[in-house]
Amino acid sequence: MRRLGYLFTAAWQGFLRNLVMSAASSVTVALMLVLLTFFAIAERGLEQAVRLFESKVEVALYLEDSARPSEILALKSRIEADPVVSRVAFVTKDEALQRLRAGGQVAVVDLDANPLPASLEVKLAQAQEAPRLTERLRREVGAGVVKELVDNPAVVDDLLTVTRLLSAGGLAVLAMMLFVTLFVIVNTIRIAVYARRDEIEIMRLVGASDRLIRWPFILEGMLVGVAGALVALGVIAALAPTVSGAVAAFAGIVPLDFGGVFAAQLAGGVLGLALLVGAGGAGLSVRSHLRA
Amino acid sequence: MIALDDVSKRYPNGTYALQDVDLRVAPGEFVFLVGSSGAGKSTLIRLLIREELTTTGRVVVDHDDVAKLRGGGIPRLRRKVGVVFQDFKLLPTRTVAENVAFALLVTGRGGRAAREETDRVLALVGLDHRRDHFPRELSGGEQQRTSIARALVNRPRILIADEPTGNLDPVTSWEIIKLLVRVNELGTTLVIATHNADIVNALRRRVVALDHGRIVRDEREGMYAA
Repeated sequence: MRRLGYLFTAAWQGFLRNLVMSAASSVTVALMLVLLTFFAIAERGLEQAVRLFESKVEVALYLEDSARPSEILALKSRIEADPVVSRVAFVTKDEALQRLRAGGQVAVVDLDANPLPASLEVKLAQAQEAPRLTERLRREVGAGVVKELVDNPAVVDDLLTVTRLLSAGGLAVLAMMLFVTLFVIVNTIRIAVYARRDEIEIMRLVGASDRLIRWPFILEGMLVGVAGALVALGVIAALAPTVSGAVAAFAGIVPLDFGGVFAAQLAGGVLGLALLVGAGGAGLSVRSHLRA
Repeated sequence: MIALDDVSKRYPNGTYALQDVDLRVAPGEFVFLVGSSGAGKSTLIRLLIREELTTTGRVVVDHDDVAKLRGGGIPRLRRKVGVVFQDFKLLPTRTVAENVAFALLVTGRGGRAAREETDRVLALVGLDHRRDHFPRELSGGEQQRTSIARALVNRPRILIADEPTGNLDPVTSWEIIKLLVRVNELGTTLVIATHNADIVNALRRRVVALDHGRIVRDEREGMYAA
């Protein structure tokens, strides 16, 4: 108990003794965490956008009027056999016309004949696989059943590229930030070790355990981390309404949902990472600057 | 209490700090370690508290082969061996009482028992009236007495003093030595490394002389010089 008291007091004193350096380290931690949060939110938003588009991704095969029902059914079951396909719907000529009328965008005057073709609407389970499927289906065009193929996965493709770039870029930036943060913490703790070298020498001479000598520094590192996390969470909380408003306005069609669970996970992650980085940096520093 | 068997300590550059040293110190003994600078006195002391390890040979302190100590064994050894240095090594931001209690605090003791122990050793070294002063407010002798109190507060079996009077005037030196004699009379084994010939010659205790890392003399009621 008393040893715990000593640990926390020593860590706190260490933090205050070198306040400028401690604060600088905390700000570095905060910067890293704000960046991390930004990437996490951006990824979350894009992921939702992708999912939304994915659910709408479809390939439409417009059929020849002359195609026989048996041929159409055979084609349908062949497409359904592909694992990336979630559903294939047959839309007759009549249904197509009804949809057009129901849409109300075009004034459909009485038509003697129905100019719309029947079609097969193919829904995909995985958007990434769309190009391969369309490639395959395109071969059906002109073979007597399929007149024309229309697909819209290009949007999803672009979105996926952006997501991947952002993930990779974000990871690289975060890795660099993590490295810098660790380096700064290692240095901060090294200075703390140096500032307390007399005390450490005496502790060793009178028989203090290694743990008691090391843990104040580990705790000090964690303190730096937590201070950084609090700053980061404060910044994020302050910016959240503005940013989410802007994102919502930009995304518009995408129903963004960063529910309470996500916010809690994010805050927990930020705090956890801060503690980990603080303790890790301090541990590294103590290992190399404190002879047992 | 202390046994060195055929101990040598060679530094990486090839020079020997100690060579073929055999030494036995019985419980309760009072031993002066003499010799010129670089003779190996400080190295011998560092071996006893496992600040360094021997190159060859064995060091046993209070039944522990110090080379075989692992983990918590080293701190336990250092609680059994109090050390006093020429430069006192006091913490400037702590008072006399806090400096002494620090040794208890960082070895896991505190509260009333710790206060009583602190009071006991402060009375022993005659510093009860200075307990709330900071080291910079003390004379050299008082600072050294504080450091002796800190070394004693863990009730060590052995007290080692490395040039304890090196920074002190002759009168204060005598006060410190009288205090150390008293500590020895209370049962603590004492090893004092010193250059102070007057004190060694006046006390006529056991004298172990080192020269170039070897023991050249070991006399029961010795003098500083042969």
